[in-house]
Amino acid sequence: MTLLTTHLPASETIAARAIAVDKFYGKGETEVRALNGIDVEFEQGRFTAIMGPSGSGKSTLMHCLAGLDRITNGSIVIGGTDLTSLSERQLTLLRRDRIGFVFQAFNLVPTLSALENITLPMDLAGVDPDQEWLDTVIDTVGLADRLSHRPGELSGGQQQRVAVARALASRPELIFADEPTGNLDSTSGAEMLDFMRRAVREMDQTIVMVTHDPVAASYSDRVVFLADGRIVDDLADPTPDSVLDAMKRLGD
Amino acid sequence: MFKLTLRNLLDRKIRFVLTTSTVVIGVMFVVGVFVLTDSIRTSFDALANDIESGVDLTVRSPLDIGDELDRVAVPQGIAEIAVAVPGVASIDGRVVARNTVISDGVGEPIIPRGPPTLGFSWFPTQFFIIDGHQPETPDQFATDATTASDNDLVVGEVYTVSGPTDQREFTLSGIFNFGDPDENKSIAGTTMAAFELTTAQDFLDKPDSFNELSVAVASGADPVVVQEALAAAVGDDFEVVTQRVKVEETQSDFNAFISIFGNVLLAFALIAVFVSAFIINNTFQIILGQRVRELGLLRALGATGRQVSRSVLGEAAMVGVFSTGVGIFLGLGLARVLRSLLKAGGFSLPDGPIELHARTIIFAVAVGMGVTVLSSIAPARRARGISPMAALSDSVRLTKSGLGRRIKVGTTMVVLGWLLLGLGLFAGLGTKQLLLSVSLGGVLIFIGTTVLSPAFATQISRVIGWPIQRLFGVPGRLARENAARSPRRTSSTAGALMIGLALVSMAGVVGQSIKKTFVDTLDNSVQADYFVRSTGAGFDPTTGFPAQVEQLVSEVDEVDLVVGYHFGLDSISINGSTKNVFTTDFSAGTEHMDPDVVAGSITSGDPLGSILLHEDPAEDLFVCIGDTVVVQFPDGAVVGLEVAAIYTDSAIFDNYVIDNALWNEHFNRPELLFLTASITGFSDDLPEEQQLALLASSAEAIRGVTDEFRTVNVENRVEFRQSQQAQLDSFLITITVFLTLALFIALIGIANTLALSVFERTREIGLLRAVGLTRRQLRRSVRWEAAIVSVFGAILGVGLGLAFGVAAAIAIPDTAVKTVAVPWGSLAIYVVVAAIAGLIAAILPARRAARMNVLEAIASE
Repeated sequence: MTLLTTHLPASETIAARAIAVDKFYGKGETEVRALNGIDVEFEQGRFTAIMGPSGSGKSTLMHCLAGLDRITNGSIVIGGTDLTSLSERQLTLLRRDRIGFVFQAFNLVPTLSALENITLPMDLAGVDPDQEWLDTVIDTVGLADRLSHRPGELSGGQQQRVAVARALASRPELIFADEPTGNLDSTSGAEMLDFMRRAVREMDQTIVMVTHDPVAASYSDRVVFLADGRIVDDLADPTPDSVLDAMKRLGD
Repeated sequence: MFKLTLRNLLDRKIRFVLTTSTVVIGVMFVVGVFVLTDSIRTSFDALANDIESGVDLTVRSPLDIGDELDRVAVPQGIAEIAVAVPGVASIDGRVVARNTVISDGVGEPIIPRGPPTLGFSWFPTQFFIIDGHQPETPDQFATDATTASDNDLVVGEVYTVSGPTDQREFTLSGIFNFGDPDENKSIAGTTMAAFELTTAQDFLDKPDSFNELSVAVASGADPVVVQEALAAAVGDDFEVVTQRVKVEETQSDFNAFISIFGNVLLAFALIAVFVSAFIINNTFQIILGQRVRELGLLRALGATGRQVSRSVLGEAAMVGVFSTGVGIFLGLGLARVLRSLLKAGGFSLPDGPIELHARTIIFAVAVGMGVTVLSSIAPARRARGISPMAALSDSVRLTKSGLGRRIKVGTTMVVLGWLLLGLGLFAGLGTKQLLLSVSLGGVLIFIGTTVLSPAFATQISRVIGWPIQRLFGVPGRLARENAARSPRRTSSTAGALMIGLALVSMAGVVGQSIKKTFVDTLDNSVQADYFVRSTGAGFDPTTGFPAQVEQLVSEVDEVDLVVGYHFGLDSISINGSTKNVFTTDFSAGTEHMDPDVVAGSITSGDPLGSILLHEDPAEDLFVCIGDTVVVQFPDGAVVGLEVAAIYTDSAIFDNYVIDNALWNEHFNRPELLFLTASITGFSDDLPEEQQLALLASSAEAIRGVTDEFRTVNVENRVEFRQSQQAQLDSFLITITVFLTLALFIALIGIANTLALSVFERTREIGLLRAVGLTRRQLRRSVRWEAAIVSVFGAILGVGLGLAFGVAAAIAIPDTAVKTVAVPWGSLAIYVVVAAIAGLIAAILPARRAARMNVLEAIASE
């Protein structure tokens, strides 16, 4: 696989890295600089939050990191692989095999059962799921008795837990979560964040989460702040208060 | 992935039904037609065996061209020679003739539509008496069981039977089963009258001769040896054939009939399939649009572009498999239904098993799978290009192919299509190449127009929608904007309707042109006052009435001139190719029929040695007045005929005309196709009153003679014109009804697309309802959207149909179409009907839209 040949010498502990990343939309007068010279690293085994106001480029950054969107300049390195050097197909395989996603809108396939949704990425890859791991994941998200239900028969919180289980099931190097609690009530949201934190601490997963909710961000190990396409702050071991403070500073 | 595809399909039941229904209909018709024709063929093959059984060898005269009954009669002398040949056990002479019409108890002639009316000499191996006895005296006849029971004919009663030369009264001596002792197997409504041999020879115009001799070989004798001995004995003027040959000939006769019938049905089935293909393609495109988000999600989760496109193709393939299966099953049912319908319509088809051949299944699979998979290739390719980002953004649309490319591709297809069509119509190709080139051209034009039409669909929809908006306010405005905003969808939905209407309009233009040509000819070139023809004369050129009528009418005092006419389809051969031949009395010149002679004169022709030619064949043969054309007749005679006149109007006489005297010399068919008469002293210059009085008195006089001939119809010019037009009209109506099938499928397509559109616009509809659009207004807007789309399709279709029709009318030989005429009124009606049909098709989708729960609709994605 060419993924291996493009392996760059990199620190073992860095899961994803953006180097001088620019992402521009449009041209000339209408050019929008969504990302403007971003340099950032995400460590393995940590739960990192990306925060910023609407239009700050936080979602764009995540999409680019995840290989969903192409960047204009710079490079993105996932576990030693430079994404800018990959073809569309290689990117697809990378997403499939090495990255997990949790979306704000759950994005489950309505015609498949919960279990089938969880194993979908592996079905797409044509590999058998690691049954032991799968059981652990399902246990942890507490969905054992809901596996045969269709998404339409599950509550929002349950659906999002299925989505997280789907992201975890293939044991990706890195999971990206885009406003995972955005569509949930506060109790379900707290459960979800708690669960994500446990996945990082107890199951040694790496999660990068985009959010605009300071409480959600406080569950993470580190918060990166974006504004106008630039990194403007970086906060370790955040609490809701420290996040709010940082946001206030941004507003000034 | 496969599981997902399957699940997707089964979970969306309505969508599934909508998609499969059109394919099912297409496959069903194809299978139904094949199964029906195969079944009929099998039963006819068996029938041929039954009919020809019990006859070892047949002696007859050879026939190169013309009708089976054109064979030269075998004289009595040959029968006497044959019976003396060693190994021959017995010889039975047989007589057969067409146009032997029985009249029922109330004097109505029994003339089936299409099937022949046959007269026979009694033949024991084919006729099996079930009531009464076989005809034994000159005043007796027997008939088949079906004819007897259908028309309440009773043994012992006296009936009038009209033969090739005259009509007589006979007593019904018995009723028989044909072909089989237990079941009457007379074919497809054929009526049969059987007479004792010498009566048959006399009445059916075979004096001291036979159509053929049936030979029974003595037991123990070697049939091959006997055949050779017989052939040697009867000489070169006659041939000896085995039972096998006769069976095969009969089978191939039946086959020819079944093939024509089957091909016509198949053509309609294929039209249905083609229209279905349009709808399926459209449906797949729409469904794909609705699934962009879902497919984007799969891409984000790591499905490759190929996996996504394969899943779209896979879904299509499953639709194909399912629809093909159901279509085959329903097709078997349709074949039965069609057979019963045909039977109810007067075709007495032999019963037999329903035949499902491997070929039928292969064809059905090719059609069903082919149509669905081909229709989904383009959507599948587009699916491949869906970005994973589609899962994440709110409103995603598929990238559309550029308008510039569309115009280029569409124009190329349309131009290529017209070139092929032109090539087919005007290059003088063989039938097969012609059909291929014309249908390929038509298909290209249809597809090309659909590719092109989004370029102007928005503007035209707005124009069509303008009055609707004026009339219905907001719902009208919504309808107009909805039709205008997605030109691609409007175009492809309208596409199916376009095809149906193009075909109907084309038939309309061609039909109108044929009618116009006929009326023009009648007005300008026909001077006769009365027209006599067989009551059963339809499109079968072999129908006729007793020749004696001509003699009787000419003896009427008021009649000044009578001319009889015969017609032989493919009955003469010139330079090795068979031609139709028409007859007249050269001595009558142009008094009754004026074909517009440009050189020579008809009256100068020698009845036995001249021919009249239309200018086209004259040019092709490089002949002018006085030159000789060598003509071969069915009796084998090869005669050099001098060209006496060349004419330009082929609508009356077709291309080749000979004198009746020459016809009688070479053809065994004395019965007349047609008779014209003119009245002494009648002229258009007379005052109208006098004209009418003269017509009334002469009509009475003529009917006085012809009335006793049950099979004969006398009409004056007005009546003749009316009856001919009515006949053409009924023919056109039949074709239109068949083509309406395509319209019906197109309507399913419109309903289908609308249902999907409504589903797609759920949120928008919810919003409109939330801000105060009433259910009624919503339903109205959906219905009028359908009407706009339908009218758009109808305008395209009528436009194309007009162009096709004019092209066809120009290409059709002058014999049938000389003047191109357009039925503007009908075309306008088609557009109105399409609008109404669109409104009807929208009823269900509109109701569904109106039933939506407002809150749920708004909340949906």
